[in-house]
Amino acid sequence: MKTARLRVGALAAVFVLVPIVASVPASALTPKAGARCAPKEVGKTVGKLTCVKDGSRRKWVAAAPAATAAPTTAAGSASATTPASGGAPIKLGVALGLSGASTANLAQDQRLGVAVAEKYINDNGGINGRKLQVVVQDTGADEAGAIAAFNALIDNDKVVGIVGPTLSQQAFAADPIAERKKVPVLAPSNTAAGIPQIGDYIARVSAGVATYAGNAVKFAASIDPLSKAAVFFADDDAFSRSETVVFQNAVKASGLELLPPQTFKVNDTDFTTQVNFVRQNRPDLVVISGLAQAGNLVKQLRDTGYSGSIVGGNGLNVVQTFSVCKQQCEGLIVAQAYSPEIPNDGVNVEFSKLFQADNKRIPGQIAAQAFTGVLVFAEALRTLEKDGKLNGSLEQIRIDLNKALLAGKYSTPLGDISFTPEGEINQKSFYVAQISMKRGATGDVFSGVFKYVKF
Amino acid sequence: MSFVRNLPQNFFDGLSIGSVYALFALGYTLIFSILRIVNFAHGAIFTIGAYFTYVLTGGTLGGGNFPFSNTRVPFSLNFWIALVLGALLAGLVNVAIERFAFRPLRNRNADTLLSLVSSLGVSLMLSNLIQNLVGSDPLPAPEPIPGSKPSFDVASVIIQTSRLLTFAVAVIVMAGLWYLLNRTRTGKALKAVSEDATTSSLLGISTNRLILFTFMLCGVLGAVAGTMVSTNFNITGPYMGSEYALIGLAVIVIGGLGDIPGAVLGGFLLGILQTVVSSISFRIGFWDWDFSGSSWKDAVPFITLAIVLLVRPQGLLGRAQIQKV
Repeated sequence: MKTARLRVGALAAVFVLVPIVASVPASALTPKAGARCAPKEVGKTVGKLTCVKDGSRRKWVAAAPAATAAPTTAAGSASATTPASGGAPIKLGVALGLSGASTANLAQDQRLGVAVAEKYINDNGGINGRKLQVVVQDTGADEAGAIAAFNALIDNDKVVGIVGPTLSQQAFAADPIAERKKVPVLAPSNTAAGIPQIGDYIARVSAGVATYAGNAVKFAASIDPLSKAAVFFADDDAFSRSETVVFQNAVKASGLELLPPQTFKVNDTDFTTQVNFVRQNRPDLVVISGLAQAGNLVKQLRDTGYSGSIVGGNGLNVVQTFSVCKQQCEGLIVAQAYSPEIPNDGVNVEFSKLFQADNKRIPGQIAAQAFTGVLVFAEALRTLEKDGKLNGSLEQIRIDLNKALLAGKYSTPLGDISFTPEGEINQKSFYVAQISMKRGATGDVFSGVFKYVKF
Repeated sequence: MSFVRNLPQNFFDGLSIGSVYALFALGYTLIFSILRIVNFAHGAIFTIGAYFTYVLTGGTLGGGNFPFSNTRVPFSLNFWIALVLGALLAGLVNVAIERFAFRPLRNRNADTLLSLVSSLGVSLMLSNLIQNLVGSDPLPAPEPIPGSKPSFDVASVIIQTSRLLTFAVAVIVMAGLWYLLNRTRTGKALKAVSEDATTSSLLGISTNRLILFTFMLCGVLGAVAGTMVSTNFNITGPYMGSEYALIGLAVIVIGGLGDIPGAVLGGFLLGILQTVVSSISFRIGFWDWDFSGSSWKDAVPFITLAIVLLVRPQGLLGRAQIQKV
């Protein structure tokens, strides 16, 4: 009995002490010049020392005067170039499918984009001196999780607005809650038809697939003489269902014969049935609407000898696709709403630089759109602050924020954007890319690139 | 007609995926036969095994801002050695699960429902741990035979090399398990404990040691299944085992709870049924309705489960429980 109590006590001590010890950075008490500092301390000043990142090393150095220490970036229309300091932080909610089997890798990129945005905004004066604080809630991959996360952000965390959720399917369930409570929502990756139409408080920075998905089919038809197309889509995902309609119309518009559309599930990894369909019907173009796991369909088609063109939807427009279809991703055509290769007035360059410094990889569309979502909220909040409208009740701030958000014009990694009164994004630039793979000695994950193509 | 033409292809693909289901379900059923509990953490062990093998072959972990992002071990083992070592490491993790999540409850004679909840908690904890240490990026599984042809044609049936190897490995492991259970003293002791743990203990069998051994064995089975699945479909992320965890449950109930040949039969049956049903598609013009079998793939295990429970509640090879009153 005594032993059992001792064990329980020891276990409790481990659970209590480990997080406490882990949360105290080694250098927090008395940093010395030249000593190493923790990643989360970068930019922090203790006494006369500041933690700075020098290449891959972080160390404490004597603090520089504010004007030289602050980044010299063009933070959209940020007026200040000194880090945010005064006043209570302004809370912005972010709802992402971090723990969903089908959404975890998308949400992970979104979270990285959001983290870069938060740091970028606060390093550039925050909301006219006040800090922007991002509050993240995990939605999982289902609708119930998205609803719970929205309720928690609105009622418990008292956020001014929400960036999220990850999937269109979740947006159709959770956005009406924000609409009823008059909380502005910016969808970072919901591209299905009908998202901004959910209500007055719902807008998106992720252009509807109808705007650009067809470009990829047009490009495929321009490089190869095509006659017959097979279309596959995840029938349990609203975005994929919506995207396939655009693809099917583009196939018909290009004068190709469209084989009966075939379905799969968003989490499927085994595509035997779809591969057999292609073997029997011999199309020369395959079009796929699904998430990154659908890269397995690309791989299995190539493994079994299919040599025609393959067009992937927006779900395959993520760097994670490279790890799924590996060298068989070569030549995969995707339409993009973001290209890391296009400068876009310097904001994209700055975003890309910060993202790569933090994460050691080139940002993809998903991260760029999440960054844009937070940036747009910050810009709208700056406008409110300038007009003295950030001191009223939370309900009034949310209403005013929605108006400011829809009225503004923004310089973002996606290019210059604005919104229609309905909340649909006005975006000028769209791209088509083709994946080019370079196999590393150990089968490295990050050996692919989306090569921007002009046509 | 295309359904008939595709039957050999579907049968082969079904055998391959069915062998993984069987291997995975054996881990469930062995623990159930001894402890009368379902170990929901088995799905997480499946995932961990795939990650261990990937790391041991020198693969680089996913990107992002996580403690182990973009890191790799300074060596690169041959796939087959990594598979064995990875499976043993996963077995050790399973032993730790038994030690910290099951044994304290067993020592208190806690209700089996508590063990079930405990294993669910461990499963979530392990998946989240992977996510917080290495992120959620899918990872490219190593090739079992580097440079091999991805597929070859045998009488119009396309045989994918990775599926053939998966089937072969599963059959070898299952044959080894059969030998262990039927031809060794340890196997006989395991059977004795599964029949009656108290009497076995009175006869001098160390029950706790055997339970630890069973967890080790089940960890190895789950990890081998996870790794072989990853050679076909890559490591899809920290939650790759969750789908197999549900199908594995259906397999052991269909085969007969705690029945080892039943788990094998159930695994193969579900694998073949799933692939065959997925390949069926037809149109009913009168209703303007298209039936696409691939949309029903996920439902196949549970429809089969419902039918088996209606017709033979004890499972295909299970024994009916007779209760004396």
